[in-house]
Amino acid sequence: MHDPATAPAADQIALRAIGVSKAFVSGNLRTQVLHNLTLDIDAGELTLIAGPSGCGKSTLLSILSGLQKVDSGRVQALGSELGQLDLRALERFRLEHTGFVFQGFNLFPALSAFEQVELPLNHMGLSRDEARHRARLSLEEVGLAHRMRLRPAELSGGEKQRVAIARALAKEPQLLFADEPTSALDAVNGQMIIDILHRIASVHGTTVLCVSHDPRLVMHADRVLAMEDGRILSDRRPAASAIDNHGIPS
Amino acid sequence: MVALARKTLIYEWRRFLPAMLAVGFAGLLQLLQIALVLGIFGATSLYITGSSADVWVGYPGTQNVGSGRSIDADVESRILLDPAVTQIEPYIWVDGDWRGPHETGGVSVFVSGIDPAADGLMFSRVLPPALRARLAEPDAIVVDRSALDQLGVGLGQIATINGHQVHVVGVASGLRALGGVNVLCSLDTARRLDSDVDDIGPTYLVARLRDPRQADAVAQRLRGDKAFGPYTAWSARDFARRSELYWLFDTGAGAGVLFLAGIVFLVGAVITSQTLIAAVNGSVREYATLNALGVGVAALRRVVLEQAFWVGALGLLGAGVFGIVMLLLAHSQDVPVVLNAPAALACILLVMGLAAVSGLAAMRSLRRVDPATLLR
Repeated sequence: MHDPATAPAADQIALRAIGVSKAFVSGNLRTQVLHNLTLDIDAGELTLIAGPSGCGKSTLLSILSGLQKVDSGRVQALGSELGQLDLRALERFRLEHTGFVFQGFNLFPALSAFEQVELPLNHMGLSRDEARHRARLSLEEVGLAHRMRLRPAELSGGEKQRVAIARALAKEPQLLFADEPTSALDAVNGQMIIDILHRIASVHGTTVLCVSHDPRLVMHADRVLAMEDGRILSDRRPAASAIDNHGIPS
Repeated sequence: MVALARKTLIYEWRRFLPAMLAVGFAGLLQLLQIALVLGIFGATSLYITGSSADVWVGYPGTQNVGSGRSIDADVESRILLDPAVTQIEPYIWVDGDWRGPHETGGVSVFVSGIDPAADGLMFSRVLPPALRARLAEPDAIVVDRSALDQLGVGLGQIATINGHQVHVVGVASGLRALGGVNVLCSLDTARRLDSDVDDIGPTYLVARLRDPRQADAVAQRLRGDKAFGPYTAWSARDFARRSELYWLFDTGAGAGVLFLAGIVFLVGAVITSQTLIAAVNGSVREYATLNALGVGVAALRRVVLEQAFWVGALGLLGAGVFGIVMLLLAHSQDVPVVLNAPAALACILLVMGLAAVSGLAAMRSLRRVDPATLLR
């Protein structure tokens, strides 16, 4: 786990989008999803991108995380120009620096919770013991120490999402991307996931970028970006005393 | 390392079962086909493999045992001059037309005239000594037990071959022929049965060597001497292979075997690859999540290939067990089946090749793994 003392300071910029545009073409129909969008995401914060469905927030997430290429503009993540990395290098970057939590839990039915978390670690070049140690710590952190031998079929939705978070967390990523992590969950489980995500940002200093239209998340985010029609409408810090002006849309 | 491929295979065995069955049945079909072909076509070299001669001498260009021509009897003395040869005897092949005591229509028989002496080389491995001794009686013949019905004859009964009377003094097993019936008799009887006036000597001369390992070298040495008219020599191994290959390819059976092998491979590969593709598609979101987390596509490909490998191995295991049971059953029912190491290896290679091809095909569907789709 990241030692908070060595975690990047909150005023550093983890992600930067400069003049990003993206459109999808379907037949003759061209839909502009992102309009010349410029944005900075600060390190060590839980940033929430909120907005109605179809506003482009998931596309923005996939572009900032290097899963998708931009039509125009640039994306910098942890100082790397993502546009200049080839497929291999992007995989390498994601392996070393990023974690993902998706709306669906996407767990392998055949693997126990422990194995789900251990699996990506095997590919990071960690020793077996180190991978297992991290997997255990990670599952303990999301409160599943007693359930880690169970398969997805034996876990509740909330538990599955916590396994998915543990899987991302065990990699000790600097960047954690979460797409609608609570939308498939009930209130109690949703709240638990929100608390965990918030804790990851504050304790580990991980930059957590979360896309959601869940109003409960707004209360816990360090920063909330409201999006509509591919543009950022507002940028506020619900609980913050010091508001800086990073990330005001152009 | 978390054994994703194996754990998925075990946990979702129902999903992979069709592939394992397809591989298993492809293997089984192939195994039984090869065993049958080897069993049936092995009969064409029975004359050689059932005898203890190391070198065969016959007419040049002879393509299989049944199509020899007579050679000069004096060649025998030339062969005996070779210091490696310890024993030599003539072997006469006569194509005969059989008339049994019961109406059977025409039955073509392959008459083998052999030396009935106790140390005779021909059929020494299949003909019991007591039966061999009885062949010394004039016009005595021995036939395979399974041919009695076909010949319409019983033990001790009289029949005619090429118009000459013969009587059945014994039945043996392991004398089955392909395309006719083997009839064993003495050299003298065979000469009487031969109606071809052009046949002036034996069809073959077979020799035993001091050192059987020298067979190839001796055969080579005996060739090319034209002093006694045309003849050539083969090692027994060579001549047996020549006979089998002739039947396999000249009769079209070999092409049939290869064709069927191709069909089996194709059908097996289609079913197996479709099953593996379905398995990949079923896990595409999980694979995409791993890829989002930075696990490379190459590593995901290895998972799919490993699954294909296990499907192949398990299918092979099933085919092996079932195949052995079937072969034992066939043996007990006198069905000619033979399985040797190269044939078994060919089956294994075919099955694992099938699994590999299917795995490669399934790997292609990993192209659909795109983590960006998880965000829509």
